[in-house]
Amino acid sequence: MTTIQKPTKPILLFNDECTVCRYIGHWVQRSAQSESGETSILVQPIGDDPGRLRSLNPDLDIWDAYETIHVLMPDGSMKLGGEAVAETLRNLPNTKWFAWSFAATILGFRPFQVMLNVAYAILADVRPLFGCESCGKPKVLRLIQGVTKWARNLFARVPHKSPSPHFSLSSAARRRPLAASVEPLPQSSHS
Amino acid sequence: MSNETIDQPREISMKPSSREKIQTVTSASFTRLVLEAEGPIAVEFMSYGCAHCRAIEPVLEQVAEIVKTQEKIFRVNIAIEQELAGSYQIQGTPSLIMFLDGNEVGRVEGPSPTVSSVLTAVTQPFESGAEDN
Repeated sequence: MTTIQKPTKPILLFNDECTVCRYIGHWVQRSAQSESGETSILVQPIGDDPGRLRSLNPDLDIWDAYETIHVLMPDGSMKLGGEAVAETLRNLPNTKWFAWSFAATILGFRPFQVMLNVAYAILADVRPLFGCESCGKPKVLRLIQGVTKWARNLFARVPHKSPSPHFSLSSAARRRPLAASVEPLPQSSHS
Repeated sequence: MSNETIDQPREISMKPSSREKIQTVTSASFTRLVLEAEGPIAVEFMSYGCAHCRAIEPVLEQVAEIVKTQEKIFRVNIAIEQELAGSYQIQGTPSLIMFLDGNEVGRVEGPSPTVSSVLTAVTQPFESGAEDN
């Protein structure tokens, strides 16, 4: 049995090993605070403990959390990717005035949400170019590397020997200091 | 921000995540489960934030299922167990270290995320050890 901490406000989880994600997470955190100190959305790093994440939502898998941005809703549902971005913008005082557009439908189609989904997918893919050591490589770079390796093997007839590309230096996993204002995840109690 | 945002806790029974078929060992349990254990054991030093660990995870679980009668596979989260990672001079993730009766007999850094590659990585050191004997 694990104690589930049910939030009363949405929780945005961000990858604290990724520079872009940290920047965005801290921007959301600052933007979410009103003058009275109230906040409309909680911002928390994903961290390293799968059990602590499952205490927030039993269906939340830590691998998935690192793969895609998640917003945990008070009703127990989760929003992912572009939907999570839209939900975040809906909760920020400075952006909620235009965030309604993501829910607008034209003939059953949500054009602005689709555009946001595409924009999120591109940003998520190119994160490594902006300093995310732990995010892997952009698809376009993997494609170029694959073609280059194939061409080299085809023409040179000598397989290219290089250090394993499937390896992250441990510096990538080293936790950068968190901003003091970032709340730790709620503790779970296992029994 | 404070605890005001957390509602009444509720207790539910939870299944382990589908992706957590490989047991995590900590510095507290490492000696008992790995160093003092008999037989072949592979330990993956990993981090949840590592993209390559994410890629290899489903493969390692398949391999763990294939070799489960002959070999145990554990994982160590180096983001938490930094001293343990340091003591084995882990340079990056994922790193697989193979132990036979508590002694390191091989290691592979960043295996290709394919079943054949990982299966070779976690079984070959024990085969060569058996040939030596």
